[in-house]
Amino acid sequence: MKRLLLLSAALAALPIPAVVPAIAWAHHSYAMFDMNKTVVLDASVTRFKWQNPHAFIEVDVTVKGGTEHWAIEMTAPNNLVQEGWKRTSLKPGDKVRIWVHPLRTGARGGSYAGIRLPDGSTLGDVS
Amino acid sequence: MRLAPIVAVALLAAAPAAAQLGAATQSPPPEGVAEGQGAANPKGHYAALDALPDWGGIWFVMAGPPGSAPAATPKLKGEYLARREAFVAEVRANDGVTRRDRSYCSPPGLPRIMRLAQYPYEFIFAPGRVTINQEAWMQTRTIWTDGRAHEEDPDPGFMGDSIGHWEGDTLVVDTIGISDALEMDTGWPHSDQFRLIERIHLDPSNPDVLVNEMRMEDPEALAEPYEVTTRYRRDRYGKLFEFQCSENDRNPVDEDGNTQFD
Repeated sequence: MKRLLLLSAALAALPIPAVVPAIAWAHHSYAMFDMNKTVVLDASVTRFKWQNPHAFIEVDVTVKGGTEHWAIEMTAPNNLVQEGWKRTSLKPGDKVRIWVHPLRTGARGGSYAGIRLPDGSTLGDVS
Repeated sequence: MRLAPIVAVALLAAAPAAAQLGAATQSPPPEGVAEGQGAANPKGHYAALDALPDWGGIWFVMAGPPGSAPAATPKLKGEYLARREAFVAEVRANDGVTRRDRSYCSPPGLPRIMRLAQYPYEFIFAPGRVTINQEAWMQTRTIWTDGRAHEEDPDPGFMGDSIGHWEGDTLVVDTIGISDALEMDTGWPHSDQFRLIERIHLDPSNPDVLVNEMRMEDPEALAEPYEVTTRYRRDRYGKLFEFQCSENDRNPVDEDGNTQFD
């Protein structure tokens, strides 16, 4: 899974999509994310959507003077299962740390890279 | 309720069509299949399926090994090459972002649906047919192996008209009738003469890898046939997940073709 995302990242970074990817794009291209950048969020889960085409985590992040709401896209549940995820891995109110490749637009959203769950265990890429 | 008499009149007026409502359609056998034969008459032919290779479980597309060379690209010609060049120029001008002309809830069709990174496949054998269930968009693909010919003028669609046969343990599939509104891959257009030939078999050196040798032909769009191989790895006890795009479409496409992110 990680390899797939990294491959997508490498391709998204190309200025010209002159090559056919070794594998076709998944549901959509990752060009909307800055895959070379990772932000780390200490967050409170507000919603966990376990459904194709992509699972999603929505969180609140406390910032100076208020709260930011982030939507974080994941890969498909059938891939996440192989990374150790399940439908019940997160619930609203869970305090987590999430590693995210942010949207290029600067909007509060991104592509999931890894997570530290409330019990301290981690999934995905948390480096 | 006030409309009921009007509906009744309308139905009477359309009597020839209305008379067929509720009646079973009686289709003739397809070209090349005798009455009582073929996929529609499976009884008595199930035991023979046991001779087919073991494609059980579900299958995920494999990425190439790290550092492997990028696959060769299709050699387009004429207006299709011009369309390709225009696409590349536009993406370059748009910071690498590709515009879309349809919802992400619309599937990519063949051949791309057989090459998706995230969503697995399963292959179901039945007498006279192979069914490929695809997690992506919950698509179903039928490959007829009962000796029928292609439809004379198939309706252009996402999956086209697939005819197959077994050469030993290799399923050979010939597909026509793929809509020319679809693409070989993002930004690689084709004509309505597009033809896909697939040779699908287990990897002789690893029975948990399925190999799909794909050959694409198009006398209008391609200067020469384009060949690419897709490999899938087996998850023996995995299962396909539901895929109901409209229930979770977080990436609507705006009127300028730009992908949004909710």
